[in-house]
Amino acid sequence: MSELLREPREVMRDEMAMRRHLLAALEDGPKTVPEIARVMGQPSHEVMYWLMAARRYGLVKESSQPNADDYFAYALSEKEQQT
Amino acid sequence: MDYDALVVGGGTAGMESALSLGDMGYSVLLVEKEASIGGTMILLSKVFPTLDCASCIATPKMAATFHHPQVKTLTSAEVTGIEKKPNGTFDVHINKKATFVDPDRCTGCSSCEEACTVAIPDQFNFDLVARRAAYIPYSQAVPKKAVIERAGTSPCTFACPAGIKAHGYVSLVRSGLYEEAMDLILEDTAIPGSLGRACYAPCEDDCTRCELESAVPLRLLKRFAADYYYEKHPYPKQGPRNQLRSEKVAVIGSGPAGLSAAYDLAKQGYRVTIFEADEEPGGMLRYAIPSYRLPNEVVDRDIENVTALGVEIRTGERVRELATLESMGYDAVFIACGAARDRMMEVDGEDLGGVFSSLDFLRRVNGGNPPDLTGQNVLVVGGGNVAIDSARVARRLGATRVTIQYRRSRAEMPAFDWEIEAAEAEGIEFEYLKVPVRFEGSDGRLARVQSIDMQLGEPDESGRRRPIPIEGSEQTYDMDVSITAIGLVPHTADWADGGGVFGDGNMYADPNTLQTALPHVFAGGDVVTGPSSITHAIGQGRRAAHYIDCYLRGVGLSPQSFDGKLPAVARDEVLARQKAFRYLNGDRTAERPPQERIGDFEEVELPLTEEEARVSAARCLDCGGCSECHQCLSACQAQAIDFSMRDEQLTVTAGSVVVSTGFELFQPLRKPQYGYGRFPDVITAMQMDRLLSPTRPYNTVLRPSDGKIPDNIAYVLCAGSRDCQVGNELCSRVCCMYTVKQAQLIMGALPLADVTIYYIDVRAFGKGFEEFYQQSAAMGVYFVKGKVANVDEGPNGNLIVRYENIAGDGEVVEAEHDLVVLSVGMMPNQDALGLFTHEQLKQDSHHYVHEIDEDLSPARTSIDGVFAAGSTAAVMDIPDTILHSSAAAALAGAHVERVRT
Ligand SMILES: Cc1cc2nc3c(=O)[nH]c(=O)nc-3n(C[C@H](O)[C@H](O)[C@H](O)COP(=O)(O)OP(=O)(O)OC[C@H]3O[C@@H](n4cnc5c(N)ncnc54)[C@H](O)[C@@H]3O)c2cc1C
Ligand code: SF4
Ligand code: SF4
Repeated sequence: MSELLREPREVMRDEMAMRRHLLAALEDGPKTVPEIARVMGQPSHEVMYWLMAARRYGLVKESSQPNADDYFAYALSEKEQQT
Repeated sequence: MDYDALVVGGGTAGMESALSLGDMGYSVLLVEKEASIGGTMILLSKVFPTLDCASCIATPKMAATFHHPQVKTLTSAEVTGIEKKPNGTFDVHINKKATFVDPDRCTGCSSCEEACTVAIPDQFNFDLVARRAAYIPYSQAVPKKAVIERAGTSPCTFACPAGIKAHGYVSLVRSGLYEEAMDLILEDTAIPGSLGRACYAPCEDDCTRCELESAVPLRLLKRFAADYYYEKHPYPKQGPRNQLRSEKVAVIGSGPAGLSAAYDLAKQGYRVTIFEADEEPGGMLRYAIPSYRLPNEVVDRDIENVTALGVEIRTGERVRELATLESMGYDAVFIACGAARDRMMEVDGEDLGGVFSSLDFLRRVNGGNPPDLTGQNVLVVGGGNVAIDSARVARRLGATRVTIQYRRSRAEMPAFDWEIEAAEAEGIEFEYLKVPVRFEGSDGRLARVQSIDMQLGEPDESGRRRPIPIEGSEQTYDMDVSITAIGLVPHTADWADGGGVFGDGNMYADPNTLQTALPHVFAGGDVVTGPSSITHAIGQGRRAAHYIDCYLRGVGLSPQSFDGKLPAVARDEVLARQKAFRYLNGDRTAERPPQERIGDFEEVELPLTEEEARVSAARCLDCGGCSECHQCLSACQAQAIDFSMRDEQLTVTAGSVVVSTGFELFQPLRKPQYGYGRFPDVITAMQMDRLLSPTRPYNTVLRPSDGKIPDNIAYVLCAGSRDCQVGNELCSRVCCMYTVKQAQLIMGALPLADVTIYYIDVRAFGKGFEEFYQQSAAMGVYFVKGKVANVDEGPNGNLIVRYENIAGDGEVVEAEHDLVVLSVGMMPNQDALGLFTHEQLKQDSHHYVHEIDEDLSPARTSIDGVFAAGSTAAVMDIPDTILHSSAAAALAGAHVERVRT
């Protein structure tokens, strides 16, 4: 990878359109970032932006401990599960 | 003098100066451009070498400043100019930016942020995570009040003559909030179904995305929202206002202008009656626009939005005298009877059977009484939208050959290119520079048309070249039917009294207020403007409703009061926010094939699928910042959101000035060899400080590439400092120590991680610094004396740091890491240099504010009475900043004493 990444502003703009895919990816259970990225078919560094914003605004929450490979899993928050 | 001192910039230095001056009894105005005071310090994790929590020590200072009785703090405000007066005091001009949230009402609850549909990089998290257009800077913000980022009105919204918040509904569709999108559209228009199909969409012409691949399909997105909503709500959700007003308003005409005025007035509680001459309401929407572009069922459902509010539409009632309405008790009248008559060609034979005027022809077809054109040869005369519609309708009625004759060339044709292309695709022929001069017939029916060739002369008053007949070029054709479409004019003959309001063609009304010579009579839409468009007519109807309301409430008809939009944000400004854009496919073939569609009157254009709607809405660039989607308005329980706020310009006088505008961070993209912007796992130390802080953007320190906890972290010291290549030969003084601080914090947070610091030399010059450095080495932080040449990505995705081993033989060594942190330095912030209008504030050779007597009188600048505090004068850490600011405050106080006497 020697090209410039997409600028954060552009990736972040996609968050609202990506949100439903992100939340759908978590519907059948918690997932790590690479797992979510695989389900969404999107680069994991872009998924990070969408996921962390969803976490910030209370749509997802992380597992209390990372897995053996040092990844946290993220799940729909209770608020989100109810909707 | 309003204030003894002005302090510009509310970071560590600004707060300390303000507090010191305030404690000495001086009155202080502190101006901060961000929405919170606190500057950089509040964003740090901890501070070296004591490892005190930055929030814990900064927050009390922020609160003390904000609540100090001698200090007045203005956040979201910028000093635009400072003039020194002969008596040694200063005139200060300030732009207090509109925040669109009433701070007295806002409770800081974050509901607006959670509801907001626009994601923007969070400057307080250095782009690691998004915030919203409506945002509270961070949880310890002082004041803790939301603000809304608006750079202006988005170009699409600004361009809409009907005042529809185009950007707003785009951002709602992008978020999947389709019902909300339509609710927003319904705030501004009753007839979105019609607009979504037949609007000429001037918003799309102005869309910034046109500069990339093509406009966001705003019209189709509106149709998408309307179709979704109408499917879900066969009947309107809203009903009449509970509390009706006593005044009655009569609206003449039920086209877009009349419907829109009635809709807006009924929403305000007026009793509105629409008088419509035709059998059915809708005006041109129903009778002129063919159903392959706009089906009548859609018009019907749109009109129900108006009648649901209690508006009565009396069809089949042609108003001929204004006096009748007065006698019926109407307090105000809006005339919106359109331009519903075809201009005559004034040539022989125009009255023959088989020669239709375009509106009569279209009206018959839309009214269910179409002439049978099977096998006929049809000539349409004219070059506008109506001519094209007539030709395409004739084609659908079975005509074998349809030709359009237009007296100018294609370049001058008023019809849109897409219309001409659609007609061509349907087999319609175009003959340019030709016009009929006579219709000939037998037994009262058209049989032949004689046309003449034209050539173009000089431009006329419309700017188009004038067509001139070529003598002797007449030719005669056999023709069964001809449809003339050379322009529309109002039906002036209808008006027995005219009320004194008709001119010789269109009606005259004040262009701003739409009031006619009779104060209670307003007029708008095509009857005033001449033939225009649905969206322009809606705009006119809404304008009339606004001024009729003013008139009936007895308040003045101020020309500015109607359209209070912020100025449009410039496209260049939007594009300048990004260095590069990803181009996306904006094309869409969404029409039924010509051969199929000419066989019926079903819609030609196919709607967007949900996926297409979402994907195309996601192309929006959020030009204005906030999209005006109004989700925050509904979410805010405190009713604090106020879109009517505007910037305020203030002028105050001050006895002295302290500039404390801080520093800028080195932009790591300027050292491309370090891989920032190319590899997600190359970050800056400022970003790492955020990741380590209690208010961090992730749940812990994670790799931005994939959310893994890093286990082998490298620091590159002097990134952009002591580096002549980037024009910054200065040592940034804080990087060594903040790096050591971060290394220690990482050892605490991630006990299994290795931390390696690549350095040229470690500078630990302050009190307790050397011990701090030694302590981290003892904790197991690796210090490698090596100058990093570049950072690359290895085959396994890890980062390869290549460095010159200074401690060894200068050989190049490669080391693998999974996160690289660039210890970026501080750069001068030159904001302060431009503040003074009558005298230049001098800079030193490194572009910091020049301290003219650094040794004996630090903080004194080249302008008497102006003092520099903190990192605006030189790179410095927090303890030095505090000291320096106290010095600046003392000098400023002394200056105040001098100018006072
Ligand atoms: C990654 C990193 C880590 C650090 N860690 C430490 C540490 O642990 N310990 C330590 O002592 N130091 C540390 N520092 C240094 C410390 O951040 C600075 O010394 C300190 O913030 C300087 O304070 P200041 O008030 O001069 O500038 P700032 O804190 O940057 O404040 C400037 C303020 O002025 C405002 N402003 C700018 N222009 C205008 C204008 N035109 N009108 C109105 N307002 C304006 C800005 O919005 C801002 O609020 C670190 C620096 C970095 C980059
Ligand atoms: S109107 Fe919409 S985009 Fe604007 S701040 Fe409110 S929620 Fe955000
Ligand atoms: S990019 Fe979005 S906000 Fe900008 S003009 Fe186009 S639709 Fe409107």
